[in-house]
Amino acid sequence: MAQEYDVIVVGSGITGGWAAKEFTEKGFKTLVIERGRNVEHRGSEYTDMQAPWQIENRNLVPEDFDEQGRYQLIKQKGYFKGATKQFFADDKEHPYSYPDARPFKWVRSYQLGGRSVTWGRQSLRWGPKDFVANKKDGNGVPWPIGYEDLAPWYDYVESFIGVSANRDGLEDLPDGVFQKPWEMSCAEKVIAKNLRKAYSDRRLIIGRAANITEPTAEQMKLGRGQCQARAYCKRGCTFGGYFSSLSATLPAANNTGNLTLITNAIVERVDYDEKLGRASGVSIIDTLSKEKRSYKARVVFLCASALGSVQILLNSKSATFPNGIANSSGVVGRYIMDHFSGVLADGIVPGLDDKFATGRRPIATYIPNYRHENKDGVEFVRGYGFQATAQHRTKTPTHANKAGIGVDVKEVANQPGPWKFRAIMYGEMLPYFDNVASLHPTKTDQWGIPQLHIDARVRDNERKMIRQAAKDIGEILDVGGCVDINVNTTPEDRHIAIGDRIHEMGGACMGNDPNTSVLNKWAQAHDVDNLFVTDGACMSSCATQNPSLTYMAITVRAADYAAKLMQKGSL
Amino acid sequence: MRTFSSEFIISRRVFIGSAMVLVAAPILAGTTNTEKELLVISNSGQFFSAEHMTMLADIAEIMIPLSDTAGATDAHVIPVLDAMMLTWAVAGTKKQFLQLLVKLNEIAKASFQTHYLNLGKDKRVALVSHLDKRAFANQTSELSKSYRKLKKIIFHIYYTSEPANPDFMLIPGTYRGCVTQAELDTFNARGRVS
Repeated sequence: MAQEYDVIVVGSGITGGWAAKEFTEKGFKTLVIERGRNVEHRGSEYTDMQAPWQIENRNLVPEDFDEQGRYQLIKQKGYFKGATKQFFADDKEHPYSYPDARPFKWVRSYQLGGRSVTWGRQSLRWGPKDFVANKKDGNGVPWPIGYEDLAPWYDYVESFIGVSANRDGLEDLPDGVFQKPWEMSCAEKVIAKNLRKAYSDRRLIIGRAANITEPTAEQMKLGRGQCQARAYCKRGCTFGGYFSSLSATLPAANNTGNLTLITNAIVERVDYDEKLGRASGVSIIDTLSKEKRSYKARVVFLCASALGSVQILLNSKSATFPNGIANSSGVVGRYIMDHFSGVLADGIVPGLDDKFATGRRPIATYIPNYRHENKDGVEFVRGYGFQATAQHRTKTPTHANKAGIGVDVKEVANQPGPWKFRAIMYGEMLPYFDNVASLHPTKTDQWGIPQLHIDARVRDNERKMIRQAAKDIGEILDVGGCVDINVNTTPEDRHIAIGDRIHEMGGACMGNDPNTSVLNKWAQAHDVDNLFVTDGACMSSCATQNPSLTYMAITVRAADYAAKLMQKGSL
Repeated sequence: MRTFSSEFIISRRVFIGSAMVLVAAPILAGTTNTEKELLVISNSGQFFSAEHMTMLADIAEIMIPLSDTAGATDAHVIPVLDAMMLTWAVAGTKKQFLQLLVKLNEIAKASFQTHYLNLGKDKRVALVSHLDKRAFANQTSELSKSYRKLKKIIFHIYYTSEPANPDFMLIPGTYRGCVTQAELDTFNARGRVS
């Protein structure tokens, strides 16, 4: 007999943790189901207290990963190291599919806490223009909510997670509830000052980080402490200095006594009661025993990551929903998006040779999108921003990869070099109906679940953005005071792998029209009242800002709505 | 008398060829041969033999010698490498490194009619220096690939070692983006940014 709960939350990552916290604190018996293993906060898998010489294999991943074809998707990424590898899923063990000509990068973390353990922590609100973009230019499905709908929930989320940021007063990147910001380096200050003088629309600001600088009583009560500027966040943080499900929402949920948590359980499908016309719960497969079980609940929240939730929706077939639950519109799996890059630039900030930086700031600087309006004669819609940094002076390289040995080369290695400012474009990809995730007709994973097949690509609008962004950043670095400027762009004929920014979104978009969208303004399925999807799948467009803060705000807003309906007995 | 500064006999056969040497066992202890300025490792490591450990320790120290700052020996580069052969390296890498040592001896014998470890310090330094230049000038040969890989891992181990990072702070406490050298020195001495 299936076990019964008030709410089932699928996924324990950044949105699953929030859903768990909200429902348990409101008194609902809540089951959180995580497909990965259990990880203890401050447990043995955290490697943040290891100095470089204490890390296994000096932070190199074992060579046999390559030989065995493991982790091929992320093996070249700077974040995938010996000290962090345990927090990333192996694409060989967890395969998915894509067209040969258009590889898709699906970076996953299958353990308790999900990708909240390794996220970038950049916590940026969307602005009013971001929510009207689809309607304005006719791409994708118009958002059913605006900034004002989310603003109080942004406040609520920021207060709990702790966001260190400056009050910049930017219309398109609204300020929020902030703790003390991180300091810019002197090189970054030079550029910020020069940009402010030269432009009315382009700013270099300090990043807005979910790393706490002034812990609140609420945060300290959960055992969280001030960020210690180590920038080892992707190893887990013993101090609880950055926000994750493990450090904050799950402990808060657990404190209520209303949380039940199971790990190593893959949700195969959302079960649908044909008589009642409701989701009755979920069916899971135990990853270790492969045993199948079912759990029942009044409400189901899918928080399994954008593509993870899409996969579950599509695989939840019934007589009513032969193409997947909540998919009467046929839109489930459509409008897959990610931020895209295509422009990398750097330049030397001259002078300041007598200045240094110390400590490891856990966040970069940021040039917010200044191209919401179609100005300067550009031939694209939407826009882009730049993640950027000159946190430290460069160091002279060693001769590890070039000729030269002995005292002379040793003495010139790792010496303070010039300040170098680096910038990477983050563009807004349009929501394209034909960028789609579907179930592969024949391929399955080791548990017999159909693999997700993801076919997504950038198109003409994004290519035009790249061309303009390359011009812009060259000018910005010049105006900012840089010399020796390099601007590298991705060639027009080279595929840009969607997912590479790890901001994949869409697949179950919100909208007012049940015929063209999957979810309503509460992230509630149009077709199934007691089913909500509040992770990245619900996004109707992707803006340029890092999306996690918005996912969290949408989740708590949806949970509040669902809880009120449950309390009234109408859900 | 053969000069060695630039005339090593690194034949095409030696440079490209390969051979397999099997080795065994653990533990490290050494004595210094003062005449040859050579640290002689008396016990085998976990993967490398004592002789291999001696050669590798010498090569690493030639690459990254003791000066005002720590050298490769102080940083325990080769004992760490020896351990990593069991936890990091694949069979191909193990074979590469062992073959490289065989080749090094072949070069020494071809150039000086004796084993690498019988050479004086100046000849060993010159031999490794020459190999270094040659390996980066011609990167297609197996010897070049093996040497460059060994060099890369030796440098990696060294520059991630405690002696090579005397100012490393595990817990800086905060970040300061614009400090003077004097302030930096103070923070480093304190082991904390505050």
